[in-house]
Amino acid sequence: MPDHKGSASAAGAAVYAGNCALCHGKDREGTPPAFPSLIGVKKKLTDEQIARMIHDGKPPMPPFPNLSKDQVDALISFLGTTPSAPPKRQQDSPLAARKGITLSPQAAAGDALFQQNCSFCHGRDAMGGESGPDLTRSKLVSSDTDGSKIAQVIREGRTSSDKRMPAFQLSSSEVAGLIAFIRARVAIAEASKGGRRGVDVSDLQTGNVELGRQYFNGAGGCAKCHSPTGDLAGVASRYEGLQLEERMLYPRNAKSTLTVTLPDGKMISGALAYRDEFTIALINGDGAYRSWPTDGVSYKIDSPVNAHVDLFGRYTDDDIHNLMAYIQTLH
Amino acid sequence: MIRRNESPMKLIRTTFLLAAGFLLLRNAGTSFAAAQSLEPAQLLHPAADSWPMYHGDYSGRRHSSLTQVNPENVQDLGLAWAFQTGQTAQIKSSPLLVDGILYFTVPDNIWAVDARSGHLIWHFNHPTTEGDHIGHRGVSMYKGWLFFTTPDAHLISLNAKDGTVRWDKIIADVKKGYWSTMAPLIVHDHVIAGVGGDLDNLPGLLRSFDPDTGAEQWEWDATSPTGTANSTTGGMTWITGTYDPELNLVYWGTGNPTPVLNGEARPGDDPWTCSIVAINPDTGKLVWGFSASPHDTHDWDAVEIPVLVDGMFQGQPRKMLMQSSRNGYFFVLDRTDGKSLLTVPFGPTNWASGIDKNGRPIPNSEKEPKPDGRLIAPDEGGMTNYRSPSFDPSTGLFIVDAHPSYSLYFTKPADGSYGWAGADYGLWGKGVIEAIDYQTGKIRWSHELGAGGSGAGVLTTDSGLTFTGDAEGNILALATSDGKTLWHAGTGSPMQTSPITYELDGRQYVVSGSGGVMFAWTLPKLSTGSGRASVTR
Repeated sequence: MPDHKGSASAAGAAVYAGNCALCHGKDREGTPPAFPSLIGVKKKLTDEQIARMIHDGKPPMPPFPNLSKDQVDALISFLGTTPSAPPKRQQDSPLAARKGITLSPQAAAGDALFQQNCSFCHGRDAMGGESGPDLTRSKLVSSDTDGSKIAQVIREGRTSSDKRMPAFQLSSSEVAGLIAFIRARVAIAEASKGGRRGVDVSDLQTGNVELGRQYFNGAGGCAKCHSPTGDLAGVASRYEGLQLEERMLYPRNAKSTLTVTLPDGKMISGALAYRDEFTIALINGDGAYRSWPTDGVSYKIDSPVNAHVDLFGRYTDDDIHNLMAYIQTLH
Repeated sequence: MIRRNESPMKLIRTTFLLAAGFLLLRNAGTSFAAAQSLEPAQLLHPAADSWPMYHGDYSGRRHSSLTQVNPENVQDLGLAWAFQTGQTAQIKSSPLLVDGILYFTVPDNIWAVDARSGHLIWHFNHPTTEGDHIGHRGVSMYKGWLFFTTPDAHLISLNAKDGTVRWDKIIADVKKGYWSTMAPLIVHDHVIAGVGGDLDNLPGLLRSFDPDTGAEQWEWDATSPTGTANSTTGGMTWITGTYDPELNLVYWGTGNPTPVLNGEARPGDDPWTCSIVAINPDTGKLVWGFSASPHDTHDWDAVEIPVLVDGMFQGQPRKMLMQSSRNGYFFVLDRTDGKSLLTVPFGPTNWASGIDKNGRPIPNSEKEPKPDGRLIAPDEGGMTNYRSPSFDPSTGLFIVDAHPSYSLYFTKPADGSYGWAGADYGLWGKGVIEAIDYQTGKIRWSHELGAGGSGAGVLTTDSGLTFTGDAEGNILALATSDGKTLWHAGTGSPMQTSPITYELDGRQYVVSGSGGVMFAWTLPKLSTGSGRASVTR
């Protein structure tokens, strides 16, 4: 993507260098999570919001009330341009070397780390790969304005049974580099409108609403547990596209109920919290965790979500697309 | 396929007698070689006090003749020691045991640990700044030298005594996108190393090195070179193969084709990707190949262990090769010529329209990834993955960590024809240990491991025990006869290794890794050689 070097943005670049670069980086790459990258900031905030933030500050960012309106306008114009990186450092970035993409020094350092530690699952360009999601379409990434959520996932990993990502012991600057690289990949992905990789909402519109409604009420058995005017009312307003389809096929966070009968006959119920062959646990209404050896109590687990598992072996692909078409009408 | 008039007991007996020939090799007594040395001939007859290569022996059965730990006393099994690597990298390697020292790895790291006490002897730690650090499977050994592959696709030879580097050779070019995680296979005077690299359109390859000088002996390429018209790339060689000394053939599984999810650019069967191949270890020449997933579009590497078993099949003695493949099919081949004996799914699969006359699943083009998605079973991790299954000769059971699962697969023109070239999303899966009757493919028993799946490998022993792990991090000892749990211990993290076992000073140890910790399990000191253990402390 070519740089737009209009006179306004040239003036804005000077304002940026004098006021902002110390924290947000020479190439706007930032040092997340403390100092966010400003690359692509105009896609997240309106010009008015940016102007207000510059004038008022946002702790820990200081206010800049003395900048003139012209200076602020020039700065905002500059923030809409694509940053350029010193060409010397491009050699350090494996992906950039492959694809001829320009990255900031920090993002280039992050690229090298990303290729070693992340690319196997998330792909060389962070757009998804073996078992790892497309980070350029990740809600967590796009909603994480200061990088703290991404940093937390890198440091703590994902440990739930269906989202397994190892934790990584990396320094703050290494994590910042990874975040800068992911942000750069988001900016590049968003710039390639029209021909974008990955699953778009528009890709999932091949079904027939009426056939989907029939499946919902008939062969699918969905209506046994769900209602379009009850639990599913407005579901298509809360989720869309791939996320909605994944939830439709298997809602990962669905709760199971555990009922334990103690040796004295007393019964305790709660949300199933843990289960293996040897130990069973629940969280009761007060949020307290309790566990028992499986051979010391009798227990029953109620998992309505298993109805979704039973459907996997029965769906045709058309059933899924039709059902998706119908579910998308539930605004 | 099955002779119905053959009594099961007779079949089992015959199987056992044939298998006993293999076992004699395994019971060669203790090793007498000088410390920290392993002669190639010892690989043909592994001693009970050793686990001298990735699979324990050349057959890939991950079965031990040891019987001290048995179904009656396994409930007394306890911790002998635990070794902390102090790293977040998960141990995915299968340890080597030679002359009382265990060698195991994570990327860029090797630990040499006293197998009796679990204390550190030396640690090799050479960080690399290129290549993929996805995992590491372990080292191999020839005489007094270890062989170690690196994330930047080098093969390093080290002195087993102290971990000092003797030489460092390149297996393949990391700049092109290759890496290596596997434990090389030593056959005669060949160190055979493979690679990973399916993020880019590259041919998989095996390269053989001279164990002393590191000089290259041969290279075998799984596909045509990158850029060949209408031809696939891929077929990575990232798991250690097996070897039949009698036929002098090495058996290797190869990985998925590239581009991975978009098959349009590579019409046809895409040999030799997703295949089982037989290679002459002295020349590197292909003798035969079998496509486990012709024209794969779901990333189902056929690198799972090609397990070699001699036994009866349809009333005839056979030299067989068995693989529980990532695509969900259990294959039995005649390993002399690669001809199919049995092809059956071992869990839910929905991507094939049938089995062809050569025993290969026929891919259903409607189940290739599409712009609006296709529901596919199993998921991309597959019905099983690289951790080892085990073959138990006395029951004729092939025991595998299975992963019934469903997922959505997408590809569209914008995804292109390079590297991944699409997207897939796992929806649901679980872990189940399955005991497959190799003569029929019928699942004789299964044992649930929990939501998501386990990933642990499997080890069986002659005493009738099956060791593996569940989805939550318990190591399990099951009865091989019926799959019932006989013993367990929580290890804090799901086991990502394939367990091993050996006997030292008259005590049998079982070794398993979870997270960054290696655990050794043994019985309390025995006052008698067999039966229930009595504590003498």
